[in-house]
Amino acid sequence: MKLIKKQIPLAIVFVFGVLTLISYYIPHKKSVDFMEMMNKWENIVAAFAFFLGLISLFYSHYSKIARKVDGWGYSLFVYIGFLAMVVPAIYCHGKQMDAAGKTALGWSFSFIYNPLSATMFAILAFYIVSTAYRSFRIKSLQAFVLFVAAFILILGKVPLGQIIWTSVLGWTGAGVDQVIDWIMSYPAVAGKRGIMIGIAIGAVVTSFKIIFGIERQYMGKD
Amino acid sequence: MNVMIKNKLGFALVLLFAAANTFAAKPGPAAKKATADPLLPVAGLTVIDMPYDVGGTALLKWDVRPSDTPDVTYQVYVSSLETGGWIKAEEFPADTRTGKDIDLPFWAWDTSVKEHAVKVELNNYYGEAQSTGSLFHFKVAAVRGRNTAESEVVSVVTLSNWFRLDRMNNLVLLLILIVAFFWAVSHAKRKGLFIRRIAGLDAIDEAIGRATEMGKPIYYMTGIGSMSQISTIASAFILGEVSKKVAQYDSQIKVPHYDPIVMTVCKEVVKQSYMEAGRPDSYRDDINFFVSQDQFSYAASVDGMISREKPAACFFMGYFMAESLLLAEVGATSGAIQIAGTDVEHQLPFFFTACDYTLMGEELYAAGAYLSKEPMLMSALKVQDLGKLIVMVSVLFGIIFVGVGAWRHWDPFVQVILNMFKAY
Repeated sequence: MKLIKKQIPLAIVFVFGVLTLISYYIPHKKSVDFMEMMNKWENIVAAFAFFLGLISLFYSHYSKIARKVDGWGYSLFVYIGFLAMVVPAIYCHGKQMDAAGKTALGWSFSFIYNPLSATMFAILAFYIVSTAYRSFRIKSLQAFVLFVAAFILILGKVPLGQIIWTSVLGWTGAGVDQVIDWIMSYPAVAGKRGIMIGIAIGAVVTSFKIIFGIERQYMGKD
Repeated sequence: MNVMIKNKLGFALVLLFAAANTFAAKPGPAAKKATADPLLPVAGLTVIDMPYDVGGTALLKWDVRPSDTPDVTYQVYVSSLETGGWIKAEEFPADTRTGKDIDLPFWAWDTSVKEHAVKVELNNYYGEAQSTGSLFHFKVAAVRGRNTAESEVVSVVTLSNWFRLDRMNNLVLLLILIVAFFWAVSHAKRKGLFIRRIAGLDAIDEAIGRATEMGKPIYYMTGIGSMSQISTIASAFILGEVSKKVAQYDSQIKVPHYDPIVMTVCKEVVKQSYMEAGRPDSYRDDINFFVSQDQFSYAASVDGMISREKPAACFFMGYFMAESLLLAEVGATSGAIQIAGTDVEHQLPFFFTACDYTLMGEELYAAGAYLSKEPMLMSALKVQDLGKLIVMVSVLFGIIFVGVGAWRHWDPFVQVILNMFKAY
């Protein structure tokens, strides 16, 4: 049992991890083919896992409806939404357009899916405003620096702000565009690169821990 | 009078004719050069398989000559046939395309400007299947005006190569990190290994305790990454530790998923954690559930759940894109303690502003070790520190060397330093 639950999975992780790692240094066609095969396998596994996901989704919403928990009515929309997309997709053989124009699937995409997606994305604008308000409350020196940088950026992006900058700080000789360029090119990039270097090294070490079997929580410990 | 006019006119015509003949006979600057420097075929033409590649690319080299002026054009022809079938693959001015234009480091390539070097990607003309392993013929034509001088024909079979010598700098760094990793793991100490406090991880107990007191659930989001992403794997490790504490406190956790594979893995992780906490009876199969594999549908659904259930704590750990703010802002409005962690640096500002604690990039990777307190995992964190030390020292010396080199105009030296730090 230990062999099946522990040693074989660890061996698979080690072998495929090392092969994937060294394929970065081997440009040979066999190495490229190996990586393509891995991607295909991943897609196949994902396709089967998607069915599991679908079962999980239907089961969790079915139990909400069956138990009449608070907001169970929303769960009905899972089934309605699913049918609204899947039935036209089967009926139109997955085609969104045909000679006569939009198919039922195309209609569902254009007039159900896309507006709903766009609505969610549009809400982001309002959330950014409320988040910006929260972040502009100056509680510390760092928050003050963030506020000043953000304020200059906002100022420089609108014509009125540019006029204000020119009339108030025009004597300095530095245009607001130049200041924005400097902020974006130096302090912002320096901070971002620092984070990226840390991420890159952290990713390498985490990969080692998984490949060499030090970290094995993803498969249960014993 | 008329006779005189006629004579003058005739004389003028003779003069004009003579002058025209004189100017026509006098060669112009270009013609003068052509006489002095006749167009010759390229010298020293060789073709080799392009090194360190998957195949399908040939590399032509020939000598740079003093006559390689902008008015001369080189045309590179390729054919798969013994005779004829020539296809023009490249055309460029004769004073361009030397060895330094090939993007390879000094240890893998001679960046000489004394030779022209041209890569010909055969995939563009013969398809992928034919371009590797078949014999191809090449010739180079030097063209100036209407004059053309063709070289002899050279041939090569392109091959798939077995080693990327140009990535040697990367390999050396990798080997150093592997050695350091094994050293750190084999010298793992049970006690006395200092790891700085990570406030976001220390707050996990507080968040779970709050959820227990309030009798409200904890929401844990693993993001929209796939299981092959490091941040998602790190998120699964943290989920294991969080769910273990949830099981110990007998609180409630919900894990809505974007990716069904991640859901399957997380189910195992949570189940294992409940068993380790000695509470397998509290584990339910619907702790992890699939929501949608569409970014905004996922965000809308989870936002709805957070708004309705008003959880005591929300965890956002993993790979997030635009939905980061959509989720975190709704969580903040609902009054939950929020702890986020991601390696997507452009989403970090949103988490910083909307969450109580945020783990930045590498802190997310370190979280599993930090929470589990396992000596071997914690020792591996030392390798991250060593890696950062190597980078910092390299950056410092790189700045000094490149600065001094640029100031003293030591171009080859600067090139060597830049090559060492470049990814190929």
